[in-house]
Amino acid sequence: MLFLVPAMLVLVAFRLWPAAISVAGSFRHGGDWVGLENYRFFLESDTALQSLKITLIFNLIINPLQIAIAFVIALVLVDRIAVPGLWRSLLLIPVGIPLAVSSIVWGIAFRPDDGPINAILHSLGLPGQPWLTSPDQAMLSIMILVSWVGVGYWAFFLTAGLKDIPTSLLDAARIDGANYRQALFRIVIPLMKRPLAFVLVANTISNFLLFPPIRILTSGGPEGSTNLIMHEVFLNAFTYDDQGLASAEMVILIAVMLIIVILQFRLLRER
Amino acid sequence: MLAGRSSPARSLIMTLVAVSIVLAFMLPIVWMLTSSLRPNAEIFRYLSPLSWRAIVPEAWTAENYQLLFASAFQRALLNSILVSLLTVAIGLLLNAMAAYALSVLKFRFREIVFTIVVISFLIPFEGVAIPLTFLARSWGLQNSFAGLILPGVANGLSIFLLRQFFLGIPEELREAARMDGAGWWLIFWRIYLPLSKPALVGAGLILFMFQWQAYLWPLLIVSESRMDVAPVALGKLLGQFDFEFGQMFAGAVAVSLIPALILLPLQRFFEQTIKSSGSKE
Repeated sequence: MLFLVPAMLVLVAFRLWPAAISVAGSFRHGGDWVGLENYRFFLESDTALQSLKITLIFNLIINPLQIAIAFVIALVLVDRIAVPGLWRSLLLIPVGIPLAVSSIVWGIAFRPDDGPINAILHSLGLPGQPWLTSPDQAMLSIMILVSWVGVGYWAFFLTAGLKDIPTSLLDAARIDGANYRQALFRIVIPLMKRPLAFVLVANTISNFLLFPPIRILTSGGPEGSTNLIMHEVFLNAFTYDDQGLASAEMVILIAVMLIIVILQFRLLRER
Repeated sequence: MLAGRSSPARSLIMTLVAVSIVLAFMLPIVWMLTSSLRPNAEIFRYLSPLSWRAIVPEAWTAENYQLLFASAFQRALLNSILVSLLTVAIGLLLNAMAAYALSVLKFRFREIVFTIVVISFLIPFEGVAIPLTFLARSWGLQNSFAGLILPGVANGLSIFLLRQFFLGIPEELREAARMDGAGWWLIFWRIYLPLSKPALVGAGLILFMFQWQAYLWPLLIVSESRMDVAPVALGKLLGQFDFEFGQMFAGAVAVSLIPALILLPLQRFFEQTIKSSGSKE
């Protein structure tokens, strides 16, 4: 028992207890029981609904996109190339950098007037873009930054999965005359369902809870265009001091996230 | 792999593809590194029009690092290192003990306790950070190392990984040790821990990365700047009206270098742990 107690105490105190408080708190306002009032407020608040909508759109685009790119990179990394281990390691560097720090560096890179990204565009003869300063491009900029961090990491897991596919299966397919594309769609992708499901779910969770770049770079703006729900929760809890609404939003966020995660598992279930 | 026996030409093309992908991903890092090593006035100088000088400084200088480390950032970086190291040390011990109890010892409610562990790693930390802030303040953990460290210590995922690994250690080993009169503690310390190096490295990396990356929690629990961790300190620097870009890049490099140095030599352990946890589910 002594082996178990310290870890369990910490788990209960720092995870389960606050989770329970959060759920209970979503039915309260200023210390009073208000039932579903906070949820009703959420459904009637344009800011909150807008934030939920942005979060959903962001995730619908970024998760499949990141995993698709990571999968293509993983396919390149398991192909016959020189020093594959080196490329794989280098792609892992961005994820080691704290997201808050990558956000700062990319924030400087995105500067419209003198940043290097627009400098590259200019040198290619293209016009500079407003990036984070425009409501139309701010979310795109966040997506580029987050993908730079995550794609190499997910590719790392997917290469591990690809290496587990028995070569005998692929050899057999080749003897039967299958080309690269046939082998990829008929053998590799069906066999990769489990690693793909793992990576997609882990990626979805981290993107649903994305916070540092929003806080550091945009504070949800311009015009609320990057106000992901995690940032909305933070604002309500600390800027507007509305714990009830913040808790209700957190419960909604986790519920929506779980529904999507379950759907993803269903979709990628091995048959 | 998919290509089978392929021609050298194809192999060369694929290598070039891999190299261009990697170069694209490395570009921001190279830019960050060179910007940290050049005088402030030169950081934006070669961007318009763009020249190769943008990533190869004309004059190299360590001045940014000297200035940065003479400032409050030095303390923030030390805080980050201390918090991460203590989290790994305490966390590994606590999590390994819990994993040991859950895989080796027989007791009532074992299944219930294990379910709690699984639930706790399904609750993302960000989801409880805000209510936890008010709790932790009431426990007097504000602006303390304990407050920074404790949330990262017990980690359901690392308990789970270690338990999976412990389950693979043959029962005969501990039965033999029991016969010789060894207690549970001795068996844990002398048999299980030494045999579980790869799993301990994997779990240690999970604990380390959690703390090194931490931003939201340190922002919430710390209000005095002497307790700031490095990412928060850099974030604050960016918010200042008149900050020095060179020092910002130097700080980013310092914060990035440490995980890179730890992650790269240990990544094969990490991969092993991922694989072993998957196959024994």
